[in-house]
Amino acid sequence: MSFFDTHLLNLVVFLPLVFAALVLVLPASEPGQIRTVTLIGMLVDLVAGVWAYTRFEPGGAEFQLEYRVHWFKEFGLSYHLGVDGLAISLLLLTVFLGPLVVLASTTYISHRIKEFHLALLVLQTTMLGALVSLDVLLFYIFFEAMLIPMYLMVGVWGAEDRQMAAVKFFLYTLVGSLLMLVALIAVYFISAPAGARSFDYASMYNGLLEANRQLSACRAGPEGACDSLTGLAGTLHTYGPWMFAAFALAFAIKVPMWPVHTWLPDAHVQAPVAGSMILAGVMLKMGTFGFWRYAIPFFPVAAQMARPFLATLSVIGIVYGALMCLAQRDIKKLIAYSSVSHLGYCMLGMLAVTAEGATGSAYQMLNHGVSTGALFLLFGFLYERRHSRLMADFGGIAKVMPVFTAFFIVITFSSVAVPGTNGFIGEFLVLLGTFKSDLGAAAGNPHLTTVFGAFATLGVILGAAYMLWMVQKVFFGSLTHRENQHLRDIGLRETLTVLPFIALVGVMGLMPQPFLDRLAPSTDRFIARARVGIPGAPQAEQVRVEVMSLPSNPTAAAPQGSAPLAARDVPSPRQ
Amino acid sequence: MNLPNLTLADFLPLFPAIIMVAGASVLLLSEVFLSATSSRAYQAVLTVVTAVAAGFAALTAMFEPAHEVFLGFGVLDPFSSFLTFVVCVGLALAALSSVSFLRKRGAERGEFYALMLFAAAGMSLLAMSNELITLFVNLEVLSIATYALTSYLRRGTRPSEAGFKYFILGAFSSAVLLYGSALLYGATGSTKLTDMVGPLSGALAAQPLLVYAGLILVGAGFAFKVAAVPFHMWTPDVYEGAPTPVTALMSAGVKAAAFAALVRVFLTLGKGIDPHLPLVLFSVLAFLTMVAGNLLAIPQRNVKRMLAYSSIAHAGYLLVGVAALFVTGPGEQFRLLGPSELTGGTPVDLARAQALRGILFYLLAYTFSAVGAFAMVSALERREDEEKGTAWDLERFSGLAQRRPGYAVAMAAFMLSLGGIPPTIGFMSKLLIFQSAVDSGLVGLAIVGVLSSAAGVYYYLRVVVYMFMRPVPEGAQTLERSWSTELTLVLSTAAVVVLGILPGPITAWLQQASRIFGL
Repeated sequence: MSFFDTHLLNLVVFLPLVFAALVLVLPASEPGQIRTVTLIGMLVDLVAGVWAYTRFEPGGAEFQLEYRVHWFKEFGLSYHLGVDGLAISLLLLTVFLGPLVVLASTTYISHRIKEFHLALLVLQTTMLGALVSLDVLLFYIFFEAMLIPMYLMVGVWGAEDRQMAAVKFFLYTLVGSLLMLVALIAVYFISAPAGARSFDYASMYNGLLEANRQLSACRAGPEGACDSLTGLAGTLHTYGPWMFAAFALAFAIKVPMWPVHTWLPDAHVQAPVAGSMILAGVMLKMGTFGFWRYAIPFFPVAAQMARPFLATLSVIGIVYGALMCLAQRDIKKLIAYSSVSHLGYCMLGMLAVTAEGATGSAYQMLNHGVSTGALFLLFGFLYERRHSRLMADFGGIAKVMPVFTAFFIVITFSSVAVPGTNGFIGEFLVLLGTFKSDLGAAAGNPHLTTVFGAFATLGVILGAAYMLWMVQKVFFGSLTHRENQHLRDIGLRETLTVLPFIALVGVMGLMPQPFLDRLAPSTDRFIARARVGIPGAPQAEQVRVEVMSLPSNPTAAAPQGSAPLAARDVPSPRQ
Repeated sequence: MNLPNLTLADFLPLFPAIIMVAGASVLLLSEVFLSATSSRAYQAVLTVVTAVAAGFAALTAMFEPAHEVFLGFGVLDPFSSFLTFVVCVGLALAALSSVSFLRKRGAERGEFYALMLFAAAGMSLLAMSNELITLFVNLEVLSIATYALTSYLRRGTRPSEAGFKYFILGAFSSAVLLYGSALLYGATGSTKLTDMVGPLSGALAAQPLLVYAGLILVGAGFAFKVAAVPFHMWTPDVYEGAPTPVTALMSAGVKAAAFAALVRVFLTLGKGIDPHLPLVLFSVLAFLTMVAGNLLAIPQRNVKRMLAYSSIAHAGYLLVGVAALFVTGPGEQFRLLGPSELTGGTPVDLARAQALRGILFYLLAYTFSAVGAFAMVSALERREDEEKGTAWDLERFSGLAQRRPGYAVAMAAFMLSLGGIPPTIGFMSKLLIFQSAVDSGLVGLAIVGVLSSAAGVYYYLRVVVYMFMRPVPEGAQTLERSWSTELTLVLSTAAVVVLGILPGPITAWLQQASRIFGL
């Protein structure tokens, strides 16, 4: 690989930060310059991200474009970047949203513009960093650090109840991720003997793999066979479920799954349009991505045990989110609850552990970023004109804003999974995967699979109902409010911001293959890794994680064998 | 009388303390020749220069092998040198932030800085003490200097109240410590820690009650000094009443020195007794301190008081590390609040070195974050509001991001660091502490620590909320700028962020500093 390839991910991750430094030195009284520099930064990052996406070879190694150097050696930390198919796809989504978010905020944000753009750029770096980290602690650092700019974004530029929403968002996410940190440290300790410990993804995963296989094998045997396990497998048998629970809780809060979703409607409703777009577009995916990359592969056996439970929560989330949407009068809250419902599909597809389900889940992650991001964007335009979030304040908008209405309807179609749009492919695959899965068998009764599938299908129908109901109330009928008679239709900048979304809806709906190609190796491996925990399931070969090793002395990753405390430099005369 | 024959070589290891005492003497003497109106700007500069020189001396000494000094009354080991370095860092930053604080109150006097230096010298020597009487004397040196500093601004009612409270309770805790030492002397016939280990096991068999009472009293005395729950009652009042830079020095330096002495005494004596006693003692203390410190901080609207409770909570996290020092081994581990199988068989001495490293790094991290936060508090307070009690109200921070973005960013960095959010030094240090706790099998304590620190984030974030999300209050006075305060903020923020991302040379120092004499 060329020098450029090895540093490409560094470039993608840190370009926004470099531009943030540029913005920092600009005078705060020049909002135009600040916006332009930020936009250029995001565009350059988009170019770099697209380049990375094209450099990623679908048939190649699992992790590509790797970069790894020592960092806090005594501790087994390395600065290790690399992407697999899912990460590069989510990375593309993130850099795609970047410039659009800047464009969406040009008139929406009217005070403390410099700080806003700084927060935006820093947020971009942390999100990209979390996606490309191959060192689990590095991932954790980015995962936590992204809370800070997001918290400020909701709390400073949000709507009336912004402070409560920001604190709730921060604390909710933090509690989960701190418990995950304890589990992470526990994994660090059990996955390798003293002296070889490392926070690297590969060493953690490979360290647990053999024990996971043993555990899985004995679980296929008679009742109580696992109690005699010793060593790592025994530890995993006893404590694995707890560690999985800690990981799962952290990511479930982020997804968010029912019943830990309550921060989401508040944060979404209060956040400025840019905040909502990023939150829905990228940050929620960190939860599903975490399940995919960390929680399930690390603890396949515990995950297998928890699958029916988690799938039930997902299905509840799908139906509950949809029902909540039907009860909303606040448009933004409706879109927020629709996220709960849509992310339920991502989780359900993943938990089905079938090729269709996992592919659909991954594709749905991208779709949701596009369609919900666009919904928040479009609603932001409406909010800027009317400063109301209530459906009752609108009605008949199509008459005064025809172009806007057309765009909104296209995105709505994508969101309710009309064939020909991207949403259709994702949701269809998820449903197919669910019906074909062994979720019912895992739950104790093979017929339950149909129940899961049926409720998920019910969610699709409800989804169409609430979205179309909302569209009907807002856009059609007669113009009931005098204030609405003179609403401007969307202008050039706004159209330019929406068009990429519309294009992507069409492209991803009609030509999904290039996207699926890159997801495919990732889904294969995810399924292979999840199947480690399913007794009797066909086991694939390529389960181990292969990554590049550190440049020199690779054994120096953990505390040295000789204990400094034990070292007696000069013995005391009395000893 | 047999006078010991001391040579120059005996004094050399005390170099950092000697520098500080010399600096203090210069300050006191020069004060005599100044009129009431003369400029006293040089005093802070001299203090900082002294602190830097002492810190540098300590760093050079850190790479020397550990050895006894002063006929075994003290030891010079990398551990003590690193702690002296931490104390010097705290002292330098606190002295820098005092400049404008004292100028605003018209209270610039050489005594102030001299007392700070004396206190710091006491802290440095306390970290080196290897004998119970020496330890007590050094503890008093630092305590008496801080008592005086606490009531330095003697015009108001708060400083005198704080000083009095601190003095009474401090004297009481010293007495407890001294009584415990006396009991241990009675049991072992020696006051030198390294000499006490041998007879201790015999004494334990003969008079277990005497030894246990002595150890528990000594532990309680230290618990007062590090402000562990339930010995923390004095902390909020004293921290609130003392001049803010003094509070900064107390929270960083006094705590570091007291932890150093505590670790040395119990690690050395722990070899002669059943390690379960200190393990249980410190685990319980850590549990109570973390939970109570964080919960009590939540309702505080007074930022200075909130930081006082937060310093209690941080003592709790440090005590988790201390408890991890006394875990005896994966095989026969004491299962307090948690399983032992998770440890994957880390050798005891390695786990212990990790715990020690965690404690030392935590002390350094806390010094930067807390002293920075107190410097920020002192930059915002006004003397007129002190009697009304509103000088440190959260409202002071309202809209700070608009008025002084740099200040707000610095304070946000300190708050996030105290809360343990990456990418700050506070996260790295918490990680090291909890890592060593998990490694030693104290998973329960680690989980309690992590959850209580999540509760802690709530009150740290509240400050950030006020700074960034509240409007500037009507009629807010303009903030005076002062180069010294801003320098303090810049240095601390840089340390908090840069060391949080690139721990750099610190890790090598820590590796070195986990060598304690005689272990």
